[in-house]
Amino acid sequence: MITGTGITKTFKQRGNMLGKREVPALRGVDFAITKGGSASFIGESGCGKTTLGRIIAGLETYDAGEIAIDGTPMSPLKVKQRQPHFRKIQMIHQDPYSALNPTRTIYQTLQAPLALRAGQTGRPEGWIDERAAEVLSLVGLDPGTVLSRYPHQLSGGMRQRVVIARALTVDPEMLVADEAVSMIDVSLRLGILALLKDLRERLGVSVLFITHDVATARYIGGDSELYVIYRGQVVERGPVDTIIADPVHPYTQSLLSAIPVLHGLERPGEEPVVPLESLAEDQSDSGCLFAPRCPFRGDGCTDERPLLQVTDGVPQEHACYYPRRRSVIARPMSEV
Amino acid sequence: MADQAPGVRIDGLTVVYKTPAGELPAVRGISLTLEPGTITGIVGESGSGKSTLALSLLNAVQPPGRIAAGSVEIDGLGDVVGLAGEQLRKARGAHIGYVFQAAQNSLNPLKTVGKQLLDLGRSHGVEDLPGLVREARELLGRMGLDGARVLDSHQHELSGGMRQRVGIMLALVLNAHLVVLDEPTTALDMITQANILKIVREVHAERGLTTLVITHDIGVVAEVADRLAVMYGGRLVEQGPTREVLGAPRHPYTRGLIKAIPRLVGDIDEARALPGRPPTLATVPKEGCVFRERCPQRMDVCDTVDPSVVADGARVVACHAVTVKEHAS
Repeated sequence: MITGTGITKTFKQRGNMLGKREVPALRGVDFAITKGGSASFIGESGCGKTTLGRIIAGLETYDAGEIAIDGTPMSPLKVKQRQPHFRKIQMIHQDPYSALNPTRTIYQTLQAPLALRAGQTGRPEGWIDERAAEVLSLVGLDPGTVLSRYPHQLSGGMRQRVVIARALTVDPEMLVADEAVSMIDVSLRLGILALLKDLRERLGVSVLFITHDVATARYIGGDSELYVIYRGQVVERGPVDTIIADPVHPYTQSLLSAIPVLHGLERPGEEPVVPLESLAEDQSDSGCLFAPRCPFRGDGCTDERPLLQVTDGVPQEHACYYPRRRSVIARPMSEV
Repeated sequence: MADQAPGVRIDGLTVVYKTPAGELPAVRGISLTLEPGTITGIVGESGSGKSTLALSLLNAVQPPGRIAAGSVEIDGLGDVVGLAGEQLRKARGAHIGYVFQAAQNSLNPLKTVGKQLLDLGRSHGVEDLPGLVREARELLGRMGLDGARVLDSHQHELSGGMRQRVGIMLALVLNAHLVVLDEPTTALDMITQANILKIVREVHAERGLTTLVITHDIGVVAEVADRLAVMYGGRLVEQGPTREVLGAPRHPYTRGLIKAIPRLVGDIDEARALPGRPPTLATVPKEGCVFRERCPQRMDVCDTVDPSVVADGARVVACHAVTVKEHAS
């Protein structure tokens, strides 16, 4: 179980003549990912979703709030003491082409972390080779053909599977997959998504999925908790199927409206939401962060920032003064 | 050059790359017509040959690649495969605008957009440079940007979506009427992507263009293209009006590809990845159907005989299984 409360992070850019510029990346984010559970962070680039993923994986510090891994708060611990906790959380990066050392065979890539693991747990000789074959089988690769290969001899989808296998060598409790399928060929994406779902079910590994494509988040599991992040704030939160079917925050609705419609196979939603303008750095911080772009902003939106809450008739949490269901997503022709 | 959308006729185009294993075809025997004023989308995975095909329109395939056979006839230009030197250089930019893959990174980081625009003008012998700047400002304004500010900016001061629009401006500013967009929205967010696709549609209609969009994403084609062509292993396996192909795909690859797209609604278990992997230059079969290794309808004939391209009205498909089924019915 991994929980975060009030996670806050501000990046300070080295200043110009006017002094330092501060960029708030996360503004008090709460989350909880249970053992074997899954969550997805979605939002545009720059919304803070990757920063949050890196904080959870122990690759980035936070300014305020607390991360607790299996009940142990991380900030009181020294860096060395944190390591065994954060080792339970492994990151799968976006680009499987740069995540593997091109001069090492797949065996060598897996052997290094396994040797470390063997030392820690006092495993006999021979265990490393056995385990290397085992983790490759777990990700759907044939150890006999893959172990002696170099990364350039494998397709993008196979490389991403190797990256996942490498993460599994240290017996993690959670995988953090940051845009893990966006560089994979379309015909193979579902295979990687199905693998992550399968690892959840078979090994009880939790999966945190970070993406800008909401549709992919469904494939990790319909019970998956969806966090829609906008400018460092969670603006809507609930089970992925609920939010896709009935989003109430105009930002979530904008994200869903932007997904291409397969005309001929689907018809578009009746009330697509298009933001008034693009995301810009100089947009106002006062009140609702989405207000400058929101087509539905009303009284009070720019005065005080709405916080995540549950209101009458809306099952999921949302941070909007005027939540309303709108038909934004495309439906198959066959349903009509 | 006439101020109107040109038609393009690609006929029997084959492009080969020299490798240690001999010359291998990245694009093989492709025939495709772009009707004047239409948007055609070419969809393919990595290694399908889609970018090579697009470069052939500019006769810009770089060694070790070369156009080995076929022609690319463009109205007002003739066969670009026969063009060379100064003629070719003039055609690029003035007649054919090209927005490169990752246009976000194709700008010179050391020069402002405006300076690069002037370089472009000078290299094409534009005499009225103030006019060119005016035109660029108008185009940028049309795409929702502050033209003057963008021209004064370096690329690092622009967001991904803004750079993509600068790429489109540079492709159109010399008044080209044939435009090729290679992966116009890769690496952009969903909302930015939707915005760029809307701009592509509107600018296409307003300026009277013939447009070719190359992408791995069927969704992108579904949003903008009148016609859809699907490439696999260097071959064109299916083409037709976008809505008809999406609504009733015929080639097993097209069907599989559509099924493999993560969707917002529908049964998750029905969606599945295609088995196997896309072929590379080295692994693409030399004879028979290029898709057979991954095909659920594979027959004996697929191993030895290349399926011929069969036209049925506006629909074109190259598949033995489809041909057999039609003869049976």
